[in-house]
Amino acid sequence: MKNYLDFANKPVLMIAAAVVIIFVFLQAGLFLFVAWKRGKSAGIDSQRMRKALGTGITTSIIPALPIVMTLIAITPVIGTPISWMRLSVIGSAPYELMAAGIGAKTMGVTTLGGEGFTPTVFANAAWIMCIGSFWSIMIVSIFYKGLKKRYTLGKNGDTKWRESLTGACFMGVFAIFMASPITTGGISLVTFLISAVIMLVCLLIILKFKFEKLKEFALTISMLGAMAGCVLWNILTT
Amino acid sequence: MNTNHNPEKYEKINHRIGRLTLPAGLLMTFVPLIILAVKFGIGPDLKALVQGIFSISVLMAPVSLVEVLTFTAMLGSGAMYMAYLSGNITNLKIPSAAMAMEVCKTKAGSEEGEIISTIAIAGSVICSEIIIIAGVILLVPLKGVLQQPVIQPAFEQILPALFGAIGIYYILKDWKVAVTPIIIAIVLDLAGDFPTAITIPICVLTSVIAARIIYKKTNA
Repeated sequence: MKNYLDFANKPVLMIAAAVVIIFVFLQAGLFLFVAWKRGKSAGIDSQRMRKALGTGITTSIIPALPIVMTLIAITPVIGTPISWMRLSVIGSAPYELMAAGIGAKTMGVTTLGGEGFTPTVFANAAWIMCIGSFWSIMIVSIFYKGLKKRYTLGKNGDTKWRESLTGACFMGVFAIFMASPITTGGISLVTFLISAVIMLVCLLIILKFKFEKLKEFALTISMLGAMAGCVLWNILTT
Repeated sequence: MNTNHNPEKYEKINHRIGRLTLPAGLLMTFVPLIILAVKFGIGPDLKALVQGIFSISVLMAPVSLVEVLTFTAMLGSGAMYMAYLSGNITNLKIPSAAMAMEVCKTKAGSEEGEIISTIAIAGSVICSEIIIIAGVILLVPLKGVLQQPVIQPAFEQILPALFGAIGIYYILKDWKVAVTPIIIAIVLDLAGDFPTAITIPICVLTSVIAARIIYKKTNA
């Protein structure tokens, strides 16, 4: 009864998905080009901009792996092209799973995949995943320009406060993700603490030996070390 | 510094590109679904679809609004449009931008910070998309490796691994600002299982209020 997957994996859909991903690359290339030009105009050293690009790339390798994990989990249910496309654009892995869940639930199906997951249920799940991202895209497209202008104008007089404000926003977002392993405890807390300790050691090395280059890789090193520690912990405790 | 440097000009270009590419990208995501429906006859059940649209909208309209307000204060215009098209904002784009600003010793909120974070996010988008493509190509062999019981927990704990390092960095950077949102986040976490759409704005707001009080005290 799973023959809808024969259609969901058709090459023509692969091509349609690839077009969307190419579009994402094009947009990023375009913004990178504009930002680079703007940086040069603002007098930012090209070497620093290269460093920014390098940091953006290296710090994204490991955090992108859970997306691949979700991909592996949902391709047997909604096929490769739509899984690939959805996980590459708008939203995050948890959003996609939730939206697909809502789509299936309106058809009276509570699990993704399995017996009752008919072609129509599949189509409903896929449509809801795409329709749900309408809101964020339209809000940004319509209101962001005005919001940004107001924000820049309003704080123009006090740039020092604006910098503190932005830093505080980052801290607020990070706090949420820090609280979760702290309250969960167990393996999450162990991984969290190992990562923090490795970062601390990296920062000490940077300070003590003036080894600035390490800063670009400190996050990646901390994550890898923490994941290795997590595996070790798992072996030791089970 | 170029004396003719005109940030306004670049802002205008960014908004123009963004306002064109975001809706276009959204529309493009429907193409595979339309192909499925028209060519292969696999379409949604309309009655259920309307119901689903209602459910997802009730949830996503307020969530999206609050998120946009939060991220506007954090990201430059180019970064914002890129982050929204490619998604995965809090788990990928924001940490990347934060780290790049530290490596380049620049402050978020300044024009330089916006440029540096936009470049970093472009790198982040390119890298993460390539990794997902690799995932698609290597789907079958990867499945065996990543789902091995010995190493699987490591991939389930990537968020704690990410925010342990980033968190300690930010605590060391300014522990006085860090303390309040972390305490509030822990209290919220213990109080119940709230969605991030509620907890993120609360934590950002308390963080900003704490920063304002500290700022007033030190600059009085």
